[in-house]
Amino acid sequence: MYAVEMNHLSKIYTGGKTAVADMSLMLEQGEVFGFLGPNGAGKTTTVKVLNGMLQSSEGKCMVFGEDPAREPEKVHAVSGVMTEHAQMYNHLTGLQNLIFYGAMFGIGEEESRKRARELLKQLELADAAGQKLSAYSTGMRQRLSIARALMHRPKILFLDEPTSGLDPESAYNVNQMILALAKEQGMTVFLCTHQLRYAQEICTRYGLIDEGKLLTVGTLEELRDGVSSGMSVQIRADRVPDALEDALRKRAVSDRCRNTEQTAGIREFTFEAASEEEIPHIVSQIVESGGKVYHVSASRPSLEDIYFALTAERRQQ
Amino acid sequence: MNRAISAIVKKDMWEITANRQLLLMIVIVPLVLTLVVPSIFLLSAHFAPQEMEELQELMGMLPEEMQNVETEELMVRLLMNHILPLFFLIIPIMAASVMAASSFVGEKEQSTLETLLYSPLTVRQLFHAKVLASFLFSMLVSGIAFLGMILVLGVEMYALTGVMLIPGISWILVLALLSPAVSLIAITLIVRGSAKAQSVMEAQQKAAFLILPVVFLIAGQFLGVMLLSVWILAGLSAVLAVLAWVLLRTSLAKFSGEMLLGNR
Repeated sequence: MYAVEMNHLSKIYTGGKTAVADMSLMLEQGEVFGFLGPNGAGKTTTVKVLNGMLQSSEGKCMVFGEDPAREPEKVHAVSGVMTEHAQMYNHLTGLQNLIFYGAMFGIGEEESRKRARELLKQLELADAAGQKLSAYSTGMRQRLSIARALMHRPKILFLDEPTSGLDPESAYNVNQMILALAKEQGMTVFLCTHQLRYAQEICTRYGLIDEGKLLTVGTLEELRDGVSSGMSVQIRADRVPDALEDALRKRAVSDRCRNTEQTAGIREFTFEAASEEEIPHIVSQIVESGGKVYHVSASRPSLEDIYFALTAERRQQ
Repeated sequence: MNRAISAIVKKDMWEITANRQLLLMIVIVPLVLTLVVPSIFLLSAHFAPQEMEELQELMGMLPEEMQNVETEELMVRLLMNHILPLFFLIIPIMAASVMAASSFVGEKEQSTLETLLYSPLTVRQLFHAKVLASFLFSMLVSGIAFLGMILVLGVEMYALTGVMLIPGISWILVLALLSPAVSLIAITLIVRGSAKAQSVMEAQQKAAFLILPVVFLIAGQFLGVMLLSVWILAGLSAVLAVLAWVLLRTSLAKFSGEMLLGNR
């Protein structure tokens, strides 16, 4: 059974705006899936359709075998959802809020209190447990929402921009927590974000969405293969054989960090390599011809690079 | 899912008592209607000169069987069994609409409705819990107001005339049937309006119109245009109870999360 299954899912709002267009996607259990796209791309709408808050206009979707359009409450029993619009009560304390939502899932008060305390501690809110929500900062609210979504120990966690509004340290901690949940408890995570760097740290697979359309789906490697075949390699060395230098110049990465340093015969090249296998070969060529290698680094396109490449491609079309 | 429903009911009750402004309104209206107004009426009936011409004229308009008693007792009976019961339409309508507006539209205003909808309760169960909270609250307010009124007026009455105050049969009808029926109608209308209303204020203002027909009834009672007999009261109660039930059913059928949240 898939954790999430979408078949040609579309959502067109009554005003005629297409928020999700013909989306098909399967998520295995235990995946940390990064659903990436700019604001207004359709990420939140997808989460709402998957949780039965909105009815799809076309197509079908399932969450752990339950149809959110028919029996949303069955989906809710296994899913924890955190979105910007799902707030909690300002006049209740952090702890009271969590206990209330625990009760909504049928959890007894003692057990709720225990779980709430644990989560508050994990999310560094233990000191604020007795404070009313109205006194919470944006970042604290955000973290409390994550705690709320985890109260009933869901099988799948839908997180909509969980790290926006968090300082770098909190964002890092939240990321680590999500990672731990996935690894230790096998929780499936559906993470919507436009913060690609955070996504790259924790996701096992990605889907890129723009204007309601799913541009591509895959692991980081698969996405990289989709945009560029190789990796960019940077070498700094002196006495590079002329033939090799010419060959590398031809493969120089066009716009970024071209060969610059020429002091005392030291050359720096950034070029595209087909695979990692090529690097030792090039290095040994330089060394064998009596050259000194000062620096070699290889990097593959980051999620951000891939994202820009894909969206640029789409804009051109 | 009884735990969830009772959690919602408790939370809503707590919420309304924690809001001083709303609580004040809920306390003052019954206080004035059930204690201040009837006390003034009692005292003026006791101390006012008996042979006021206008009063005699008014008495002349009353049904025959009511004309054979002392003026003072008559006035008290009129107050007790024909005018005060109608206040017990205003009180539940007021309490129910304040509560329903804050519990439905308030959730929307605070963006907490979506969070509730992510719970494993069906929209129907949520609706029930919310209606139940408002209904219980309005019955609680009416009940307390009634007990307070009987106690205070009873003591006043005994002190002034030495006669014990015994509520008539119309009270049973009002408290057991009419009050619950109008309070349910008020709640359902507010809930129906809550899909469109964006603020608690807006919803409460709409609810204020519900009180209008009751005000006409009361004015009618005072002017003697239509003294409600127990049978008319019983009929009215029955009709309103059926209306409340029908409204509740049709609202429930229309209710969905998407409708509540709107297209955001």
